[in-house]
Amino acid sequence: MKELNPLLHSQLRLAVMSILMNVEEADFVYLKEKTESTAGNLSVQLDKLLSAGYISVEKGMAGKRPRTICSITPAGRNAFEEYVEALKSYLNL
Amino acid sequence: MEDKKLTEKESLEVITSMIARTKFRYLGNANILLMWGYLAVFCSIPVWILLAATQQNVWNWLWFAIPVIGMLLTPIMARREKRTDGAVTYSDKITSHLWSIFGVSEIVLTFICLGFSLIGGIKCWTAMMVYTLIAAPFAEIAQGLIVKEKSLTWGGIVGLAIGMVSVCCVTGKIPLLASWFMPLFILFWVVMMIVPGHIINHKAKKG
Repeated sequence: MKELNPLLHSQLRLAVMSILMNVEEADFVYLKEKTESTAGNLSVQLDKLLSAGYISVEKGMAGKRPRTICSITPAGRNAFEEYVEALKSYLNL
Repeated sequence: MEDKKLTEKESLEVITSMIARTKFRYLGNANILLMWGYLAVFCSIPVWILLAATQQNVWNWLWFAIPVIGMLLTPIMARREKRTDGAVTYSDKITSHLWSIFGVSEIVLTFICLGFSLIGGIKCWTAMMVYTLIAAPFAEIAQGLIVKEKSLTWGGIVGLAIGMVSVCCVTGKIPLLASWFMPLFILFWVVMMIVPGHIINHKAKKG
């Protein structure tokens, strides 16, 4: 049985990846709201996903406020699909 | 939500719950649609009155106010909406590209018509109107089907019917007189953009 990717096998990181699989891009506030997480925790998990090359992060300005936009990379998409495949085998789906 | 390890079953629950939260993201407001609809209507009314009152074709130049004002306002409004939405979905991107292609094709057609007029002295401006009345409804029907919004789909279908009648009139050389065609043209924008726009905004307010 294939091992589950430890980077994705965490509640918040998996939630972020699931959202980003479903949208073209999402900003930090949107991710925080949908995952019901704290800003600090979300920021740490986004950094981990960014370091793994699973997401890309673009920092910009929305009017006078800073805005962080995240999107999934092809490597992240592959990792997520492999994770789901592995999950299916664990759950006998 | 925390950074905790999950069981396989919990993983599946996280994935399905996050997909559900993003899947039912609302279509958003329809202010851009309403802007184009009202712009077209409020531009058509004075052109109708001026054409009927003076019989001077020069007033047809006022039609260019629609693309000029619309293309100036659209990016400003779109940027503001993007800022408040927080996420861009695939359907957002597809529909945005769809309308961009329509907009660019209208600009190209304008230059083609201008070229015909300046080089060959051929007046083919009716092509612009016919093209708008056919292509815009198709874009709207496609958008309605993508975002599953019936008011857009039905608005587009009625608009397309008006467009097809107009094409038959043009090819059958029936003159598109201001007395009957202008009200039909105004109705086109009302059913295509104003009615669906208000329906979508009403739904957005209700949440």
